[in-house]
Amino acid sequence: MGIPAAPIVTIAFKDLAQSNCAKRGMPLQRISYTPHPVWGKTDEQMMAYLEGNDPVSGKPFMPEVVGALTRPLTADESKTGTVTPPTGAPTFTDTSDNLQQYFLDNGLTDTMPIIIPTQERVDAMLKATSHKPDEVVGHMTPAQGAFPAWSYTVQQVAVNAVMAGATPDYFPTILAIASTGISALFSSTNSLVSAAVINGPIRDKLQMNYGIGAMGPFNQANATIGRAWTIMSRNLDGGGICGETYMGSQGNVINYSNLIIPENEKDSPWPAFHTTKGFKPEENVISFFFGFLITQGQGGRGLGVKPVPLYNVAMSANVAPFASLFGALFLLDPLVANGLGDLGFKTRDSLADWLQKNTTVTVKDVKSMLFSGLPRGPEAATLKDDDVIPKWPKADAYQFVVIGGQTNPYHQLANMSYRVSVSIDKWT
Amino acid sequence: MSINRRSLLSLLGASPALLAGAAAAAQSKAKEKPGKAPPIAGAPKIVALNPRGIPPPITLVPMAKRLDTLDGKTVYLVSDGFPGADHFLAQVGIWFQKNMPSVTTVYRLKAGGFADDDPKLNAEIKEKGQAVIMAIGH
Repeated sequence: MGIPAAPIVTIAFKDLAQSNCAKRGMPLQRISYTPHPVWGKTDEQMMAYLEGNDPVSGKPFMPEVVGALTRPLTADESKTGTVTPPTGAPTFTDTSDNLQQYFLDNGLTDTMPIIIPTQERVDAMLKATSHKPDEVVGHMTPAQGAFPAWSYTVQQVAVNAVMAGATPDYFPTILAIASTGISALFSSTNSLVSAAVINGPIRDKLQMNYGIGAMGPFNQANATIGRAWTIMSRNLDGGGICGETYMGSQGNVINYSNLIIPENEKDSPWPAFHTTKGFKPEENVISFFFGFLITQGQGGRGLGVKPVPLYNVAMSANVAPFASLFGALFLLDPLVANGLGDLGFKTRDSLADWLQKNTTVTVKDVKSMLFSGLPRGPEAATLKDDDVIPKWPKADAYQFVVIGGQTNPYHQLANMSYRVSVSIDKWT
Repeated sequence: MSINRRSLLSLLGASPALLAGAAAAAQSKAKEKPGKAPPIAGAPKIVALNPRGIPPPITLVPMAKRLDTLDGKTVYLVSDGFPGADHFLAQVGIWFQKNMPSVTTVYRLKAGGFADDDPKLNAEIKEKGQAVIMAIGH
């Protein structure tokens, strides 16, 4: 733009701001820092920040900001040119134990022991795809727009798949994940999580678990495909560096292996989830969700209505407290899905429509919730505090996947939104 | 081999002073910490492949020429939309009124998400302003 700028950053984001300025070509950007947060502070407290010292430099804050705009540039600040960041040697040679430690110390793992990615293991992985090792699979960033995206090849994805303990049979699914560029470690202060729904015959070919304990630590394919996603999200885009490329305030245990959800198609009353996204039943597809986390569950006890529990009513009540920044992903045991079918919900769309119409909130409640924005557009100006409006303006905010082993009419709710569905077959 | 800030900033010619901070200290500690497995006599050495992807090249961007003074100038106070930034910048405006009354401040909320560009606002600033103070964070 050619106009001098002085960024002010709260100190919690210092490392992120400095490294991101460097990655964007302004390593000497003149940043001034305030204590963190400014959110929720009184005017007097904020003025005290301005009249106090920058907590990083120790210098008076506002004179520093003014100086950032008026102090002549140094030669270094006027530099031009191009730099290629280093990523290290292509291989490392040491004992197995020392390599484990090296990978751990350099932030290349999820902090748990890995399978050492030897050439032999990577070659075996590469045989599971027809794609060439040097083909670029995609581009990934810890947060779209905030960080420059990295690229990566089929071989680099294979190295990460080996590290996670995946077998070659799982590799096309892992490549499909990588092809989307979706990081499982999205850098938000909200400690967000990712989910992937898997449909098609590949679920049985890989012997994935979609029955009892499907989302627990009981199946190699479910676990290692999810783990590979997390390890890729550290290594293929420079993500997962706490304070720099990962800012989740509390972190989230789901990030270890993510929500991998092979749908229980055979026990579902509805056509498979991926067919609602334009795919054929026989296609192998992976569909992605993103959002806060699983926030709630509802079992059989407490539903209490006979002869058929009003599952839809319970689902509406349970979703009501959700923030509306993301949608609602319901993970339904087949007992619940079939119960909903018995109640007349013959399609997922009919259930979504019912929930959209019957899950409502008052305008004043929406106003009181962060990330629960009011409807936009001209009608927003006419809304009164006591008006009742739909929780989400569109029915597609509600998504349903069937998973579980029918030991309990249970459903779990994730405050997550659908993103995209991609072919796994393309990567075989 | 990791692309930490130290190696990156060093490549770009940044001051070591920029590296002061918790994350840099944690990185240093991670490398120094004990816990390496004791060497096993005769343990064979193996070759592991690097799992890293390919970062894009960095093009250095020269910073915009600074002003001689802010006296009589218009400074845009731009919020990236995070909670509290609007109230904070209002206080910045009050500070200028009290301490540098010849400076005119104009508050604007940048359109889009925190990382999105706002070409319309950029054009306005270029036409009507001489400097920008931007609040980033929570």
